[in-house]
Amino acid sequence: MCGIAGRILNAPGKVGRDLVELMDAQEHRGADSTGFAIYGVPRDSGYVVRAMGFDRDAMGKDLEDYLAILRQHGGDFTADPTWDNGDSQHYSVRMEISDPRDVAMWTKAADQICERLEMQSVGRSLEIIKDTGGAYEVADKHGVRDMVGTHGLGHARLATESDVRPNASHPFWARPFPDVAIVHNGQITDYYTWRSKLERKGYRFLTYNDSELIAVWVSDRMKEGLSLEQALIRSIDEIDGVFTFMIGGPDTIGWAKDRFAMKPLVVVEQNGEMAAATEEQAVRRVYDDDGVSILNYDGPSLHGIWGVGNRRAAA
Amino acid sequence: MSDVVIDVGKRPVREVHEEIQAAAQAGKSITVTNTLSRHNLGVGLPAGCSIRFEGSVGYYCGGLNNGAIIDIERNAGWGCGEAMASGHITVGGYAGMSVGAAMLGGTIHVKGDSGPRAGVAMKGGNIIVEGKIGYQSGFMAHGGKIIALGGAGPSCADALWEGEVWVTGDIEDLGVDAVVTEPTAEQVAEVDAILDPLGLKDTSRDWRRIVAGQRLWYFESRDAKAWLMI
Repeated sequence: MCGIAGRILNAPGKVGRDLVELMDAQEHRGADSTGFAIYGVPRDSGYVVRAMGFDRDAMGKDLEDYLAILRQHGGDFTADPTWDNGDSQHYSVRMEISDPRDVAMWTKAADQICERLEMQSVGRSLEIIKDTGGAYEVADKHGVRDMVGTHGLGHARLATESDVRPNASHPFWARPFPDVAIVHNGQITDYYTWRSKLERKGYRFLTYNDSELIAVWVSDRMKEGLSLEQALIRSIDEIDGVFTFMIGGPDTIGWAKDRFAMKPLVVVEQNGEMAAATEEQAVRRVYDDDGVSILNYDGPSLHGIWGVGNRRAAA
Repeated sequence: MSDVVIDVGKRPVREVHEEIQAAAQAGKSITVTNTLSRHNLGVGLPAGCSIRFEGSVGYYCGGLNNGAIIDIERNAGWGCGEAMASGHITVGGYAGMSVGAAMLGGTIHVKGDSGPRAGVAMKGGNIIVEGKIGYQSGFMAHGGKIIALGGAGPSCADALWEGEVWVTGDIEDLGVDAVVTEPTAEQVAEVDAILDPLGLKDTSRDWRRIVAGQRLWYFESRDAKAWLMI
């Protein structure tokens, strides 16, 4: 049992604040860890990178080695990295970088030091923040409420298939595809089979969390030429298990549900904006008008895609 | 007109629950406001209690009901009326997954549609849905009746045991070991008697009564394929 959420605004706004509320309302579904994927205003070139280091005392050396690899691949920092001021041994760092020559090649190289510093998202706009603890705790530590953007995802995790570790939390980045993130409620039963197939194609997984698979699975299908919608439909037939997942991209949030209709999804769509969550009481944190129309996507084998309208202009 | 109004909002559900129980024990009629789809409201209410929830409620509303009359204005989340023994629950809108799961008796009346697995493992009582019942409704029901007036979703009455699923309208498809039978006049009269007090009796309906084909009642290795389909 986990809780997931999605939010779309019709212009850049406080999407972080809304997602924190959506996740706080679902904390009882999984208080092991909480995470957010926020799509800010996209940049034309360069990437924003979110990474987690595992030894705060070694941060200087970690960043130095990270930068050396980035420079070998033609990129550089375009601003000084910033990090959280928590007292945990692990730390989260935010970096703005210029374009490496090849994102996939560079990601592979940067992952040589993933035991020390693990990249958690790379995107023109995507930033993934995740940590152990509840929604408010993670939001306070990482300033999530102040994050501005058009859309995003949230996740509260009850670990069933792998360790409780800050980096094994959701959302997961579809390594190495920029701007693709996933949140998932459920269990993938043929996880190892799919994981080894994807590993043979060169993908790398950094946790033993079954959900990390889905983001890469969908992105790989799209790389092979399927549309997002075709990939979502295929996932329902080909991935075994119970799931409701949402996958974020630069201009969309897509979702799919398994054949057994085990995991709920509750949605409010209003005036081009959208809030989705596992539980109805969560969307009511964003839409407290009792007359609001609630859509329950409770059936089996469902999928859908929400578009994101205006990503740049002011409201 | 209600005697007591109890507000939910962001208050702890335990506190709300204690107030509801105290009012119910005192024989008062209760209105619960500002429910915000919160979970576990109105669980384990006694006979003689009459309670109305304004707006929508979350999971397990009216669970373990022991004779109360419960009226939910709009939608109910998962497991509404789960394991209830007796009483009457009305859901004004949509009832989420597993409405009436494992219920033993009493009546649940849903005015909208219901989600997947309505009446899963129910042992008795009646679930009446004015709209369409969702995927796999009646799954492994051991007794009681599910009556759908607006059709049924896929895998209807899957692995039904001794319960009955009555449908008017389209059935998307039947579940494993579900068999459609032509009801007798006596059986239809029995269903009409259930619908009559709800104002839903209509003698012109074309009923399909779905019962167990009984292939799953005993494990038969030659018929293992049927089991594997569950």
